[in-house]
Amino acid sequence: MEPDAGIRLDNNHQLSLREFPYIIRWRDDRCKRCGSCTAVCPVKAIVPTVKVQRLVQSEGPVPTPAAVRRTVHVVEQVTDMERYCTGCGACTLVCPNEAIEPEFNPQNKFLHYKNKGGEGYKRGGRRNDPSISTLDRLKFTRISMLTDPALDAGRHEFRVRSLLGRILPPEDLPLKMINGKLVIDKDSGKFIPPVREIFPIMIGSMSIGALSPPMWEGLAMGVAYLNEVEGLPVVMCSGEGGMPPRLLRSKYLKYFIIQIASGYFGWDEIIHALPHMVEDPAAIEIKYGQGAKPGDGGLLMAQKVLKLIAKIRGVPQFVDLASPPTHQTKYSIEEAVAKMIQSMSMAFGFRVPVYPKISGTKTARAVLNNLARNPYAAALSIDGEDGGTGAAYNVSMDKMGHPIASNIRDCYLDLVKQGKQNELPLIAAGGISKKGNLAANAAALIMLGASAVSIGKYIMQATADCFGDEYNRCNLCNTGKCPRGITTQDPKLYRRLDPDKVAERLVEVFKAADVELRKIFAPMGRSTELPIGMSDGLSIDDKAMAERLEISYAC
Amino acid sequence: MRAKKKAASSQQPAVSSQESRVKSQEPIVWNKDKKSVTIYGNVNGTRTPSRILEEQIQQAVRDGARQLYIIADGQHGIGGRIWPRGEAVKITVEGPVGQRLGSMGMFGTEIIIKNSVSDDVGWLNCGAKITVLGDVTNGAFNAAAQGILYVQGSGGARCDTMTKHNPRFDPPQSWYFRDVGDSFAEFKAGGIAVVCGVNPRNPKNILGYRPCVGMVGGTIYFRGPIHGYSEKDVKLLDLTPQDWEWLKTNMRPFLEAIDRMSYYEELTCSSDDWKKLIAYTPQEKRERKWFKMSASDFRTNVWEKEVGWGGIFAEYLDHELTLLPYITAGKDRRNKPVWANEKYAPPCAYACPTHIPSHKRASLIRQGKINEALELVLQYSPLPATVCGQICPNLCMQSCTRGQVDRPLNIDKLGSLSLDMPAPKRAGQTGHTIAVIGGGPAGLSAAWQLALKGHSVDLYEASDKLGGKIELCIPRERLPHEILEKEISRFKELGVNLHLNTKVSKELFAGIYKNNEVVILACGAHQPRKIEFPGSEDIISAYDFLKDINLGERPDLKGKKVVVIGAGNVGMDVASEAFNYGAESVIAIDIQKPAAFGKEMEIAKAKGVEILWPKFAERYDKKQNKIYFKDGTSLDADLVVISIGDVPILDFLPPGIHTEKGWIVVNEIAQTSDVKVFAIGDATGLGLVTHAIGQGRIAAETIHYQLMHAPRQPEFKQAIPYERIKTEYYDVCRGDFASPEKEADRCMSCATCRDCKMCEATCYWGAISRVEHEDGSYEYVVDDEKCIGCGFCAGICPCGVWEMVENI
Repeated sequence: MEPDAGIRLDNNHQLSLREFPYIIRWRDDRCKRCGSCTAVCPVKAIVPTVKVQRLVQSEGPVPTPAAVRRTVHVVEQVTDMERYCTGCGACTLVCPNEAIEPEFNPQNKFLHYKNKGGEGYKRGGRRNDPSISTLDRLKFTRISMLTDPALDAGRHEFRVRSLLGRILPPEDLPLKMINGKLVIDKDSGKFIPPVREIFPIMIGSMSIGALSPPMWEGLAMGVAYLNEVEGLPVVMCSGEGGMPPRLLRSKYLKYFIIQIASGYFGWDEIIHALPHMVEDPAAIEIKYGQGAKPGDGGLLMAQKVLKLIAKIRGVPQFVDLASPPTHQTKYSIEEAVAKMIQSMSMAFGFRVPVYPKISGTKTARAVLNNLARNPYAAALSIDGEDGGTGAAYNVSMDKMGHPIASNIRDCYLDLVKQGKQNELPLIAAGGISKKGNLAANAAALIMLGASAVSIGKYIMQATADCFGDEYNRCNLCNTGKCPRGITTQDPKLYRRLDPDKVAERLVEVFKAADVELRKIFAPMGRSTELPIGMSDGLSIDDKAMAERLEISYAC
Repeated sequence: MRAKKKAASSQQPAVSSQESRVKSQEPIVWNKDKKSVTIYGNVNGTRTPSRILEEQIQQAVRDGARQLYIIADGQHGIGGRIWPRGEAVKITVEGPVGQRLGSMGMFGTEIIIKNSVSDDVGWLNCGAKITVLGDVTNGAFNAAAQGILYVQGSGGARCDTMTKHNPRFDPPQSWYFRDVGDSFAEFKAGGIAVVCGVNPRNPKNILGYRPCVGMVGGTIYFRGPIHGYSEKDVKLLDLTPQDWEWLKTNMRPFLEAIDRMSYYEELTCSSDDWKKLIAYTPQEKRERKWFKMSASDFRTNVWEKEVGWGGIFAEYLDHELTLLPYITAGKDRRNKPVWANEKYAPPCAYACPTHIPSHKRASLIRQGKINEALELVLQYSPLPATVCGQICPNLCMQSCTRGQVDRPLNIDKLGSLSLDMPAPKRAGQTGHTIAVIGGGPAGLSAAWQLALKGHSVDLYEASDKLGGKIELCIPRERLPHEILEKEISRFKELGVNLHLNTKVSKELFAGIYKNNEVVILACGAHQPRKIEFPGSEDIISAYDFLKDINLGERPDLKGKKVVVIGAGNVGMDVASEAFNYGAESVIAIDIQKPAAFGKEMEIAKAKGVEILWPKFAERYDKKQNKIYFKDGTSLDADLVVISIGDVPILDFLPPGIHTEKGWIVVNEIAQTSDVKVFAIGDATGLGLVTHAIGQGRIAAETIHYQLMHAPRQPEFKQAIPYERIKTEYYDVCRGDFASPEKEADRCMSCATCRDCKMCEATCYWGAISRVEHEDGSYEYVVDDEKCIGCGFCAGICPCGVWEMVENI
């Protein structure tokens, strides 16, 4: 409908700033109008513009009106939902005068509007839930002082290690005595599953493509450093985006878990590289689901598919790359598990552990039950709802998925019932270190029954200063506009990120986690073996949770 | 039975046989001098509890004993806690002792134990000198703060742990003749430990496994091989001359005490045999590198050696492998500004079908070039005073950005100012011939443009006057005739070949078509539309009604009631004229919401026209002077005029020129289905006069390009969005049109640089500068190496000239 002739509409249907999740606080008195903020804003949520100020005054002894008019150049936030301020704070970062800062607006009606064109809101990041997670409520309450030998994390030497791969019980191991020595009977024809000794905190799957080149390489370099220099056997999962041939052919391949997912991206290149590999990878992860977005597939937008991605993934440039939510040729859990695990084991001569990753779900136990009976299954990785992702529908991220704590606990207790708790490792992920308590969350999950944990978004925050948080700050990963250069393929942005710094921070993070894990395990009297499933050391201050997790309640 | 020799030979055992200890009858035996006493820890085969033995020792000292011989039987803490009394208390112990011999021993106490001891000897020593003529086991000297421990044999695990140095006293010393066990000197915070390494139990490692964890102070001198130490806590150094002097000096009493003086030479022959471990200072720890290897060294020397130069992705990257700051200039900017002067059309020029650049006229006026300004418009329209100034609804003004501040620029008045301007100079003859059929506004416009460009134009007009419907149908009260006449006469100055009173027939058209390179049909719409209903034959058309008046007829409508069917603008003109000739009332009816607007509507309404809708005429009864409608109502009507538009008369056209529903079909450049023939104005569909003029100009432009073999079409610019014009710079002006100069100042120069230098002023980085060219033109340029792409120039440009684009 049109206004009457000659009438111009003004604020009709214009959104007020109060609807926006972040409101820019700009200080006129501090700003020198250098434009750093507007140059750096990833979404152009702030623009330079012009404002007029008018002062009407009367200075004389009688009414002596005088109007003073000033037109000034200002920085202003736009009220266009497509250019909403994400609160990333890049403006604050670059402002030389502390003149600008986004402020979270708890009254925002962002989700009421973020569906332009009938399209659901998509974003990257993590579940927007700032509440305290179950993991952060778990406490270690069994402290050995006079009851058990007291250990000192600083004094005693620890080997915080876990095993990745199916561990045969002693009675199943084909052993024989030769000259009074127990050795493996290689002629028995029995399959002995490959097992790797790893640090129990792994770096979860973040693909080349989801991550920028310096970010991925920085992590990879840090992992190599930890193994080669620090002797800490940290492994990292490739994510579904292939691996660069230079790495596939290097001796460092042994520190990497290669992921295969529903898009199978990069796998023909990996297979072509097989004859040139000098080392086996640490493991193969078959991705069936992702905790952050169960049931939602991945899509790498065409604008990110530049030469690098295209070459590594083995696809043409400038096309959308879809990883569907499901694998196309798997019709049942039995088939999916048997077929994929066997195929991937075969590719590497049954020398490499192969395990599936699923998103946290009530049906995880069914999957586990199946795996427990599959001799080639090396582990089960369960990714809980608090995981992160590069791109997903907001609804999938915020509302889909299962918390990891009870999921991993149920699975572990199922294994206990079958007497297989020491045979099939469980890997827990999703929400570890949400509040920065990496070692504590990892230890809690280990004591609930995980053999190892896998971390992703925390690594981006801790090693590359990712702005994202549970208040939907930044979360631009899906747009290719990551202001930190972590999740973009735009060299102008990712060249902000120093891979050496990422590597350095990764080393610091893992060294500190190693120290902290000892600080947790030592007072509990554990130093040689991981306290997997040692749930008598855990308590929680909520009765229902305690009951659900079958741990003690302490308050 | 007790040996009563004095301390000079105190090394010799006080008790000669095992038997005498066990079989003692008396727990305490005093010597005659009342200075020395022997205390038995086992009396008649019964072991004295540690508590009792402690009481006996303390009592004996209180009773004056200064030489005590203790025959121990595993008692705890023997010999400690003897308060200093100004004279030495010497305790010689023999036999199996319990843990913590001499613990909390104080200054003045000297303990000699003739055999090996149990754990924690000298625990929390506060000054006692303890000599062990055997081994010490685990935890010897733990937490010692003062005093001395001499050990003739080896130490167990965790010896010298947690020792400290209280500045009030000398540091504690511990001397081990042989070696020590694992975890030596953990958390040592002070004191001096000496491990001589003679005949060690572990010849490969005299300091045990992982010594010095958490050590923060003190010194360890040692002699012999070791296998590692806590490198994060302590450093391994050679002895200084001062160290060596101290060691040599203090070695002698140690060796004397443990009866091993024969080793003195061996132990002091060379300081090179010795090393020392001292703790890093807090300062040193703070300055310590966290990394065994820097990440960049790792990259260069390890990573890239294995994966290749530049890392794992280098082979796919086509940019420099360097870092960029957040604020970048030059090619690394994310966005860059473009001085897009005149890239867009201002709203006025865009809205005007003729695209008259009123903003440029204003700019010329501001520069004082009034004549050039008034002539400029003649390059666009032959009839600015007539159309812009009088009859046009001024779409330009309706869209003028200035209207958002106060009122639109008075473009109509500026148009009128061109009335007295002479015709512009024609360009040189091109030799091309063009025929224009129709001398109405469309034809005049096309002929004008083509003539200005130097083409030869023949114009055919059926009537005896130029102007078409402006001449024929527009009421003179809306358009004073002298204005039209003046502009027509200026038109005639241009030298167009006029063929008045020349109605074009099929035959004539064929001739015109043959003799000209291009034919422009601008024949207008001169056939009034009618609706057939009973009595419609008694109705006259608006076209005829208005034309007759303009041709001089004076209808007598005094006291008459007039009904106009069709309440468009022409209907309003009819109503006004009807009132002018005495009508008592005029009612305009329409079947839908009336389309009339602007001046026509205002004038008619002022005169009293009434508009009714929706009304569908059913019949007109001329006898009753009544018109009936389908809704059953009727109106008195002495005269009914139908004003529902006119259609063109196209009977002269050949079939090659396609028409649809009576109108000539054209594309957006006014070309008909015959590429040689163009059609403009009402012949292609009814429109405003300004539309006709605009089409004339655009057709002429197109034709000109074609004739001159210019490989392009006229450019149609997009309108600049209003939000790009910064109206904030302009204050509200009160009052109406004062002068061309004042009016020109009000123009916001949308999309066209007004050379205000605001961009230069706002650019913090000094990246923008104004460059003047030799021909007097200017531009604003960006120094890319200074510009960070902040967008200030684009955000604050009063005219919206600067725009930001992706820097690719």
